[in-house]
Amino acid sequence: MNTASQPRIRKSYLWGAAFFIGTFGMGITARVLDWGGWQTMVAIMVPMLLLIPFIRSMEREKGISGCYSPAMRAYNRRAIVFALSYMIALFVAIMATDAVKPTGVLAYALAVLPSLPIIYMVYSMGKYLTDEADEYLRMKTVIAALFGTGVLLVVATFWGFLESFKLVPHQPGWWAVPIWAIGLGLGQFWQQVRDK
Amino acid sequence: MKNRLKVLRAERDWTQGDLADALEISRQSINAIETGKYDPSLPLAFKIADLFGMPIEQIFLRD
Repeated sequence: MNTASQPRIRKSYLWGAAFFIGTFGMGITARVLDWGGWQTMVAIMVPMLLLIPFIRSMEREKGISGCYSPAMRAYNRRAIVFALSYMIALFVAIMATDAVKPTGVLAYALAVLPSLPIIYMVYSMGKYLTDEADEYLRMKTVIAALFGTGVLLVVATFWGFLESFKLVPHQPGWWAVPIWAIGLGLGQFWQQVRDK
Repeated sequence: MKNRLKVLRAERDWTQGDLADALEISRQSINAIETGKYDPSLPLAFKIADLFGMPIEQIFLRD
């Protein structure tokens, strides 16, 4: 396999690190400094845009190492749509809730608004698995997804009991998706290391 | 499962990329099959056999 053109440190790792550190760092900074809803959203939007060069560099490297497919490309495009629409939906929900103090159906509608792009992401992952014509790449993604599910089950069980015994604070259920996604990434990384 | 994919490919002077293009799969998949990391499904094995014009059992061998 031709890996001669792969740099020692992959650019996608650097972009990925910049994206995650930037996004989470900005979120933590906003919480520590007690920024308001819209200031936080605007501040997080900037590192969120790093997702685009992150995905593009990942695509280039996958193309070089011969493990890129049209289904992956379509999935990556949907991932950008998901990430940006999630930020906008969260922004709208927080801003509208702060401004209007809604009750009844409107309150429920605004509360579930940010979950819609996440549901789209779940659909998008399913669509990738059905669209992927390369059975080996599909298998690798399924293994990574199962790894992510395992990580989520372990973390949720562990945290749940700590919470039941009042040793840690309650955490919202939406943490399920980021934890699963981190597990998915770990699963992909583990396979990459194993196959070297 | 062992296979003779690498030898058959070399006999035809094909690169992994050539074979991947002909089978419409990724080069990494060809590499995984050749190195025994992955056993292809029956449909893919038949596709490979058709491409080389040989029966499956002459390409894929029992361990």
